Parts: sequence; C-alpha cells; structure tokens
Amino acid sequence: MRPLAALALAFAAALVAPAAHAQGALVFAAASLKEALDEVAGSFALGRAGRVDVSYAASGALARQIERGAPADLFISADTDWIDYVEQRGLAVSGTRRNLLANDLVLIAPAASQVKVKLSPGADLAAALGKGRLAMADPGSVPAGKYGRAALTSLGAWKGVEARVAPSENVRAALALVARGEAPLGIVYRTDALAEKGVRIVDTFPAASHPAIVYPVVLLKRSSSPVARAFEGYLASPDARAIFERHGFRLP
Amino acid sequence: MSGDETGILLLSVKVAFAGLAASLPPGIAVAFVLARKRFPGKTLFDAFVHLPLVLPPVVVGYVLLVLFGTQGPIGRLLEPLGIVFAFRWTGAALAAAIMGFPLLVRAIRLAMEAVDPRIELAARTLGASRTRVFFTVTLPLSISGIATGGLLSFARALGEFGATITFVSNIPGETRTLPLAIYSFTQVPGGDAQAMRLALFSVLLSLAALAFSEWLVRRSPASAHHA
Amino acid sequence: MLEVDVAVPRGKFRLHAAFSSDAPIVALFGRSGSGKTTLVNAIAGVVRPERGRIVIGERVLFDSARGIDLAPEKRRVGYVFQDALLFPHLSVRANLAYGERLTPPAQRFVDGERVLALLGIRELLDRNPVSLSGGEKQRVAIGRALMASPRILLLDEPLASLDGARKAEILAYIELLRDELRLPMVYVSHALEEVTRLADRVVVIAEGRVIAEGPAAEALSRAHMGALTGRFDEGAVIEARVATHDARFELTTLAFVGGELVVPNLDALPGEPVRVRVRARDVSLALARPSGITIQNVLEGNVVSIGHEFGAIVDVHLRIGETGLTARITRKAASNLAMVPGSRVFGMVKAVSIDRRSVGFA
Repeated sequence: MRPLAALALAFAAALVAPAAHAQGALVFAAASLKEALDEVAGSFALGRAGRVDVSYAASGALARQIERGAPADLFISADTDWIDYVEQRGLAVSGTRRNLLANDLVLIAPAASQVKVKLSPGADLAAALGKGRLAMADPGSVPAGKYGRAALTSLGAWKGVEARVAPSENVRAALALVARGEAPLGIVYRTDALAEKGVRIVDTFPAASHPAIVYPVVLLKRSSSPVARAFEGYLASPDARAIFERHGFRLP
Repeated sequence: MSGDETGILLLSVKVAFAGLAASLPPGIAVAFVLARKRFPGKTLFDAFVHLPLVLPPVVVGYVLLVLFGTQGPIGRLLEPLGIVFAFRWTGAALAAAIMGFPLLVRAIRLAMEAVDPRIELAARTLGASRTRVFFTVTLPLSISGIATGGLLSFARALGEFGATITFVSNIPGETRTLPLAIYSFTQVPGGDAQAMRLALFSVLLSLAALAFSEWLVRRSPASAHHA
Repeated sequence: MLEVDVAVPRGKFRLHAAFSSDAPIVALFGRSGSGKTTLVNAIAGVVRPERGRIVIGERVLFDSARGIDLAPEKRRVGYVFQDALLFPHLSVRANLAYGERLTPPAQRFVDGERVLALLGIRELLDRNPVSLSGGEKQRVAIGRALMASPRILLLDEPLASLDGARKAEILAYIELLRDELRLPMVYVSHALEEVTRLADRVVVIAEGRVIAEGPAAEALSRAHMGALTGRFDEGAVIEARVATHDARFELTTLAFVGGELVVPNLDALPGEPVRVRVRARDVSLALARPSGITIQNVLEGNVVSIGHEFGAIVDVHLRIGETGLTARITRKAASNLAMVPGSRVFGMVKAVSIDRRSVGFA
C-alpha cells in the first residue's frame, strides 16, 4: 500500500502547487501575436522578478474562456468585437483599454508558387485558385477570417470564392496549410506571412477594403497580479515597440 | 430543425457511417491477427494500433495531413485514382475511422478471444479450411464484439473534432460535422442556443446508434446462446 | 489399418509413440498428462510431430521423411471431444450438416438416417446445442463427426464430463456404433472401466512413451499399473469365456485360464469371450480355503510380488494359474499373515462386485 499512498500524496501536492504560480502573469493573446509577444515577454522577464506566460488561441476562444472564469490577467485580441464582448460582460478594468498594435492583411501563396494576383476591385481570385481552396481563419468567428471576408466583399471577389474557402480554427492553421502547399492561396496577417519562410506574399489588401486591424489590450478585473500591470505598461515601452516593429506590426 | 441543421446532421451521419464501413474489414482482420496469431513484434504492432487512442487528436490530424494531403505520399498516389481526402468529407470520414479504430479492434479482439479455439479446431476436423472456419464459426461467434466495437467507433466518429479540423478544416457542407458546427457556433457571440440544439441532436443520434447496436446483438443467434 | 510412429515435443517432455492396430477400437490408455491427447491431436493434424509417420489404410496423413503433412481438413479424421464442442450458433441439424456439406458427395458413405437412429438424436434436430443435456450434446457430437464420413473416429475422453448415468448411456451408444458401423475408432481414456468395456486392443501410455501394447487383458495386467490408473481403479483384467448360466439363482459362470468366476447374470451366450475387470479393493486373501462364507469366488494361486507400501494399504499381486490378479489389503494383514513372494494364497472375489460395468464383450 505504501507506493500507492506516496502516489496519492504527490498527486495532491501537484494540485496545490499551482497556487504558488500566482506570482507571475497570465496573458491571453491572439494567435497571430505569437513570435513577437514571446520575444517581448522574454525581454520583460530578463530584468524583473516575475514571469509572464502567454496562452495563444483564436480571440473568440480566449474571450469565451475569460467569460467562463479563466485566470487570465491581460487579454490582447485581434479585433475589437471580442474586446467589446469581454467589456460588455464587465470582465475588464475600465479605462485600461487601448489599441496596442495594427496589422495589414495579405494574400499569400506557397513559397515556390509563381501565382500573380492584383488585389483591386474586380480581382479574379477564383481563377487564381483553380481547383484548390482558399485557406483562411473561419470567416464567421475568427478576426483574421472576418477581416478577410470583409476585404474580399468590398473587392467584389467574395461571392466567387465563398464556396472554395477552407476555414481553419485560427490564422496560424491557415498559414500552415499554405506553407505545406495544401492550399494554393491563403489570407493571413502580414506579420504571419513574414514569420513563415514557406510562404510568399502575393499582394496586400488595400487598407480601405477592411476595417482597421487593431489589437486592443485590456486588463481583466480578475487580475490581482502586480506583474500583469507592469507588463501592460512595458508593452508600450520603446524596447517592446521595437520588437513589434521588427516583426512587421504597425504602431498606432 | 432548419435546413442547415439537417444538412449538418446528415453529413455527420454520412461521415461516421463511411468511416465505420471502411474500418470494419481491416478492423476485423487486425483483431483476428491480434487474437489468434503470435509473431515477432506483436506488442509493437498492438501499440501502434492503439496510437490514435493515446495521441492528441490534433497530432493525428496533422499526421493525416502529412500523409493523405494533396502533397502527401499517399494522397498523391490515390489522386489519379480519383480518391481525394483533402478538404473533402472523405477526409473527415478517414479521420473518424482512424480515431475510432483502436476501439473497434479492442472490442472485436475481446470477442474473438472468447471463442474457444477448440471449436475452430472441431470445424477443421470436419473438413473446413481456415478461411471457411473464420467465416462460418469465428465471425458469427464474435458478432457481439463487432456490434460493440462498431458502436464505439461510430460514437467516437460522431464526436470527432481535433483530427478532423486539423486535417480537412471546417468547410460548411463538406467537413463541418456536428462537433465542428457546435464549435463554430460557440465561437460566435450569441451562438449558444444553436450550439445547444446541435448538441441535443448529437445526443439523440448517439442514443439511436446505441439502440440499434443493442438490437443487432440481441437478434443474433450466436450471442443469445453464447456463454 | 492404423499405423502411428511419431515424436512430438510437448512442453517439458517429448512424446515418443509407435503402435499399429486394425482392431475395431484401439484404446489409448494412461493417466492425465501422459500424452494420449497429444497423440490423437497428431493423428488429427492439430499438432505437428517433429518426425514420424501416420498412415490410415493406404492414406498417408503425415510422413516427415517425405515432407507430407496433410491439413486437418484434408485428413477425413472424425474427432469427438470431451466437451462435445458443438457450434453454439447453429442448430443441431446445422451442426450435423456442417461436416456432411463439406464432404464431396462421392466420398459420403455414412447413412444419415442410420446415424440419427443409432444415436437417437432425431428429436433433437431443431434444438439449439446450449439447451441440450450433457449426454445429448455428446451424442450430437458423435453424430456430427460421423456425418462427415470420416475414415477413422477419434474419441478423446468423451465421457469425462458426464455424470455416472450419462456415462453408462453414452458408453452403450459407443459400443453400439462399434458393432454396427465398420468404422475404426481410437478411444482415449484414463478410465479402466471404459477401456475394458470397449477395446480389444490397448496401447498403454505413460510419460510420453508406449509402455504396453496388445490385446486388452495382456496390455493392462502389468504390475506397475497402479501409477497409471489411480489408486481406486487398480485391478486386473481377466480374459474369460462364458461357460454356463444358473437359471435358478441368475448367475453366470465364466471360465478363464486358472479358474472360474461366478458373476451376476450376464446377458451373453455360452462360449462368448469377455473381458472382466476385477478391482483390487474387491479382492481379499486367505492362507487357507475358508468355509462357511458367502463369497462365491475363491481362487487358488501364488503371491508374485507385494507392491508399494503406502500408509496403511498394500497391493499384493497374485498369479491364479496363468492369470494375474491384484488384492488390496492392509499392511497389517499382510504382515500378520507373513506373506512373501511365493506364498500359496486364496484370492477371494465377491460375485456382487462384478457388475455389467466391469465386463466388456470382445
């Protein structure tokens, strides 16, 4: 019976341990921020006592988790809808919301592809797709997907490709499909395209064709972590901004 | 039930059924080999069969993408034959079949191991070849295991999400099965009600499958008189 | 003619058996684990000998030297198992038909109607095996094996899982089959009684080897039989002929080389040869011919040997004329009567202890 008791004890200890982790901060961030934010978080941790852990997923999934009580301190969304969602439910600290970053939307193709498309009104995307599919984040719920649909609609190209879309769980999954060559074209953020060597940017969507892509950040009411406040401030610092710019983000 | 919802339901049933139908012959074969044969590397083979049970579904989906996608070795081989999995319901069926396979094999294997090998022997002394023994004795006596395994596999298919969305993404009408549709609705603010409705249909579908499986087992002559 | 000469590796030891027989039934007799079942499994093709030869008539089933090893389904060897092993998912009718259907019409020589009648299983045809009694199952199992028109029938302890009354019933059926069908049979058993009743020829197997082979009484009456049959069954088999019947007291006298045995009425004609099993525990000894006792059979003979002494009991092996007999008595009695090899003694056997079950007809 002794090994069994030891196991039970270890298990109980493991359950208790996470409480000790509360000294850091937990940030929920849109998937498209991964490389840049990881670097920023790392740079923050270097000079300070306090860890920052980031959880990346589709903004909608994160907002839902926050609504259901996830222990996040900060939320960085890829569009305003989901920040609105969180604010409307009284989960955000008022006055802490601001636009952190801006991004562009681009059309990508596998690195080896020679396809040429000009993103202007009347663009014939369907022809360029051929029998393949257009990889993009789910146009119904994921910000990158919603922007993509808006942009294509304003260019008059949405009807032609609507049936050929392959909706992914998040923008990174769409990026991976194009990088693998599974889809001949895809719509992702510029920052995503720059982060993936397996794709090339075919063209950039005109800024007028879609709502401004901004990444709002907000502090969450649940948070009691001083590290979180410090990190939120750090995000606006020159160091952090330099990192974001290097990854292709624009600063508002 | 709206037209869309009917479509999602029918697609899910189509995918789950196709997955089950495709996995039954290899499932029975693998179960038989594991139940009756001894060979070097059997443990490894058994572990391999159980991989989809143990690996995260997303990993399985990724492996399927690598192998059966348009750029994958198997995908490229099958494409000229007209068999395409990428971004098609056939891919969803494949994902469902793979994820349910270990459950199918386990149940059938258990039933086959319960068949007294001496009964198979008796059949051989009466003049039956190994193949005939398999089809006239072993298989009928394992029917309860096949029904159970089939039900488990079907149920698993109805709930399959991770591997499906990673492999063939979430295409409405093509790969948006019940779980994926429910997920999509939960991603939209205010989509909860619809998600709940679909979840309810999911439950009803599973209950129907369970009832059918029970009926199948009950009416088979073998199980009624099996020890 | 059945010829068997094989070496079969078996777990800890190796079975090394050679025998031949053209008797209607040859019994493979020995203790559990002696290798009897392995031997019939080799004949059926279920187990593969390391080397050797198995031939039935002109048909070679196995010959390692010539690389012949017929698959079980090609051997036309019928097999009746201890547990019947009927197909639970098929009716009795379908069970019986299973082997018959797989036999090419040209090779079917068994008359189905006759088998049904002989075994009395016609009324069971539409039943399911699970609902049958042990005896019924065994009869159907025999029927099923027969319907496939086998060239030889193997029976592996077919009575072992039956109770006393069923045993007797099925034993009678097997005797009937032996007499009615001209089908050679190999009967495996560790029960002396069954072997005595059925077999003209016995092959005694112990620890993977044939230690005796030949006509039943001869092969069975070996001194070291005790190890083979288990203590209870220890005894002798006497070959005798029916001499006379006593109609008034309903007794039968049997004559054997060395004396006579009086037994309760046997339904047999004078002159008929029989095999009688006399259990050691039913034999008492006296130094002088007693008088005024009820025991009918007092046989004069000599002590040949006094067997292993375990505890309070000892076995004394006698010779009555040309025939062997064993008496099981207390060690104390043997000591008190100062018995030694060569002593003149009288073996006494109660007529009542010999019943129908102890007698086999040749």
